[in-house]
Amino acid sequence: MKISPDILFNIAGFPITNTVITTLISDVILIVLVFIVAKAISLKPGKTQNAFEAISDYFRETTEGIAGERAAFIYPWVVSFFLFIVISNLVAQIPGFESIRFYTPTSGHHGHALLRAATSDLNLTLALAVTSVIATHVLAVKHTGIKFYIKRFISFKIFPIFLFVGLLEVVNELAKFISFSFRLFGNISAGEKVMATMYGLCPFGLPLPFIALELMVSVIQAIVFAMLTMAFMHIMTDRSH
Amino acid sequence: MGMIQNFGLETKLFLFQLINFLIIVFILKKFLFNPLKKMLDERKRKIEQSLQDAQNAKLALENAGQEKKKILADAKVGADKLMASVKAIADKAKEKALAEAKSRSQQIIEEANNKASAEFENMNKQIGRMSVDVSNKILSKVLSDLFTEEEKQKLMSRALERINEKITN
Repeated sequence: MKISPDILFNIAGFPITNTVITTLISDVILIVLVFIVAKAISLKPGKTQNAFEAISDYFRETTEGIAGERAAFIYPWVVSFFLFIVISNLVAQIPGFESIRFYTPTSGHHGHALLRAATSDLNLTLALAVTSVIATHVLAVKHTGIKFYIKRFISFKIFPIFLFVGLLEVVNELAKFISFSFRLFGNISAGEKVMATMYGLCPFGLPLPFIALELMVSVIQAIVFAMLTMAFMHIMTDRSH
Repeated sequence: MGMIQNFGLETKLFLFQLINFLIIVFILKKFLFNPLKKMLDERKRKIEQSLQDAQNAKLALENAGQEKKKILADAKVGADKLMASVKAIADKAKEKALAEAKSRSQQIIEEANNKASAEFENMNKQIGRMSVDVSNKILSKVLSDLFTEEEKQKLMSRALERINEKITN
């Protein structure tokens, strides 16, 4: 089975893969939802606003419970990650999502799937990981000061213990790229493979429990990514850590 | 490097996804989080304002209650004062009327006494005159048989003088 996304065609040298198309579809869905909610925003909330406020309030209250006043600048990132990932994941759970085929000269008899879960592309999950880690570090510099931020990684106190601890911190930060990106990528890719296998074995009935499982994984993985981002942002912007 | 290629990592796709997500974050922030924050702040402000208004209304109600009690107390004090002054005036008027009635009755009694005394004196005088006439007649009758005409005249004169003296005394 292929892990990398399939290149469907090129536009001015830029490869358009099936995950890129799904990413764009997710973008459109998210932007449409944003404008629907933005249009519905009022002091007396309607159903749409209530639904969005429930999600937003859950993350805001959780962030406030952990980070206190710093929730004001942390939680928009958390909600952004959650919404983008959850929509990307859920779009891929629509039945028949991968069954639309796209034929290229190199695609063979079965062709390529026109659509594939955006988060099953390591390019996307790594981009999300990089955004999360860099945003965390920018917020850390902004809210704790550059001096404190550097001291976190380079310190000559009780030499060489804290220098070693700083080195471990650097490794920890680098590991975040891998843990963030591969966790999401691995879960969604594996889910896709499991679903493909189940549909291959018996398309009627057998995939049902796995669909339920994948729906849960889709939401859980989005929450995990968002929560980890929140935890790391809290730790990095707190001077006591 | 081969392993990375197996995962399909490609700089162009990575940059596309990175920029794509940053655009999404920008859109979310500009069109969702900012208006939502503005609305939540406004809602919070309105709730706080409503609570403040409710608190003010409660205070105003309490003040009105106290004001009402004060007004009632003042009115009661005023009414008591008025009642006391009315009572004093009524007492004065009563005393004055009583004194006037007393003096008038005294006057009437005095007038009645004087009138009665005058009547009594007048009666006495009339009785005196009548008794003189009666005595004269009795004496004339009695003496006409016992004494001569001359003696009768002397006795009568003397008796009449005495009666006159008595009457005058």
